[in-house]
Amino acid sequence: MKKKIKRIFDVAWTNFRRNTYTSIGTTGIMVLVLILFSGLMTVNFLSDEIVSSLQDKVDVSAYFKQDANENEILEVKKDVEAMPNVKSVTYISREQALADFKARHAGDALIQDSLAELAENPLQASLNIKAKDTSKYAEIANALEGNKYRTLIDKINYYENEAVIQRVEGIAGGLKNWGLLATLVLAVIAVLVTFNTIRLTIYNQKQEIEIMRLVGGSNWQIKAPYLVEGAVYGVIAAGVTAVLFYPMAYIISPRIASLMPEVSVISYFISNFFQYIFLILLAGVLLGTASSLIAIRKFLKI
Amino acid sequence: MIKFEDVSAVYHVKGNGEFKALDEINLHIKHGEFVSLVGPSGAGKSTLLKLLTHELKPTEGVVTVEGMNLNDLPQSEVPYLRRKIGTVYQDFKLLSNKTTFENVAFAMEVCGVEPEEIAEDVPKVLGIVGMADKMNNFPHQLSGGEKQRLAVARALIHRPKVILADEPTGNLDMVNTYDVVKLLTKINELGTTIILATHDHEVVNAIGRRVITMDTGKIVRDQMEQGKYVI
Repeated sequence: MKKKIKRIFDVAWTNFRRNTYTSIGTTGIMVLVLILFSGLMTVNFLSDEIVSSLQDKVDVSAYFKQDANENEILEVKKDVEAMPNVKSVTYISREQALADFKARHAGDALIQDSLAELAENPLQASLNIKAKDTSKYAEIANALEGNKYRTLIDKINYYENEAVIQRVEGIAGGLKNWGLLATLVLAVIAVLVTFNTIRLTIYNQKQEIEIMRLVGGSNWQIKAPYLVEGAVYGVIAAGVTAVLFYPMAYIISPRIASLMPEVSVISYFISNFFQYIFLILLAGVLLGTASSLIAIRKFLKI
Repeated sequence: MIKFEDVSAVYHVKGNGEFKALDEINLHIKHGEFVSLVGPSGAGKSTLLKLLTHELKPTEGVVTVEGMNLNDLPQSEVPYLRRKIGTVYQDFKLLSNKTTFENVAFAMEVCGVEPEEIAEDVPKVLGIVGMADKMNNFPHQLSGGEKQRLAVARALIHRPKVILADEPTGNLDMVNTYDVVKLLTKINELGTTIILATHDHEVVNAIGRRVITMDTGKIVRDQMEQGKYVI
């Protein structure tokens, strides 16, 4: 068995070496396909980042009346936190709100003076609520409406933000759906291109395959080296892709960062290095072997 | 060893109806015979050989090789049948991206022979056909005669019971034709059945063994001994 496997690998590797131009051409096409896959991964990562940063910017705040007592507000906080769709709740006391406000307008003398004129802190305490999903804000706002301390709440700004929240939700959904569709379409094109290239490579050896059949080669004896050869194309193409893709990611990363400062493409791919390599290897090997398998079938009928 | 019983083979030609390549053939070939199959182009010689390698199935009748009815042979068994038969073709049918050694070795590998045995046997057989010094050449680096001798070596390597040679000298000059025929005769003397399809009358007359003459899909003459090419 071990000898048989060794023979299959030897024959596949010899074929690969001897048909230099065809092998380079086929591997080159697979590299292009895998770079396209890597590009799709980058686009998916970016659209996820855009969606989550948009979603992150959306929140709902409940502002409490001036006379609301801190313990009661913390009770409401506890109730909201217990809700399954809530990601986080931040309590901002009146003092904190004032300090934040002052800090935000530190350079504005007029505002600073006006505040100093006031005898009392004019700002309200608030609970800043972030949901796990933008679609859940309506539910959270409703729950607040029904809370036993509703009378302490002056206003819930969901109603002012409702249109924005729905828009963010629409954009996020659209990006996800269209991104998925574009990925699928490009992936199908990539598969067809690879399949066709390998089919042409095997077509060149059509006569050889028929001869192998005539001298008594069984289907698997003939097929196996071609499948391994397909896998070899995939492995080499994956290696070349990785070598080309990381410098490319390194170059485009600062350009993307200038548009989206919190996003680093290169760090994403470095921190997911092994997953990335595994994925392109898997894609390359699967594309190579599956294409070979389909392409060779036709010539084994003799 | 080989039997054809009422065998007919019909080709369906697209838009041109049917063409009967073999018409009720009855033939018995015994172990160790050297049979020359002669006749003009289109007589049915190649079709008859293709039935033996299961490249074609008869439209009617029964073909038997070594007691095995080829009509009932499942597709998965075809490689095993072909390993019992050596084939030599006019166009050589060599594996162009394999060396001389590898071309012969392939026929052994498919039979599951151990690499050590292959390494030992292939040079011997290449020696028999006078190709020992061309072991690492690719087919495109060989002359026509050398290619055909290589094809004979490949047909011979797994010690088949029968060798089918379809116009093996068709592409060769006189000297190389003589070499190949001499080789086939020698192989036959060692006990292998040879069926040689040819329309080279000098070759047939020189061999002087059983000659079966075919025309338009029928056997028109079967000279059991000292046969001559007669049309």
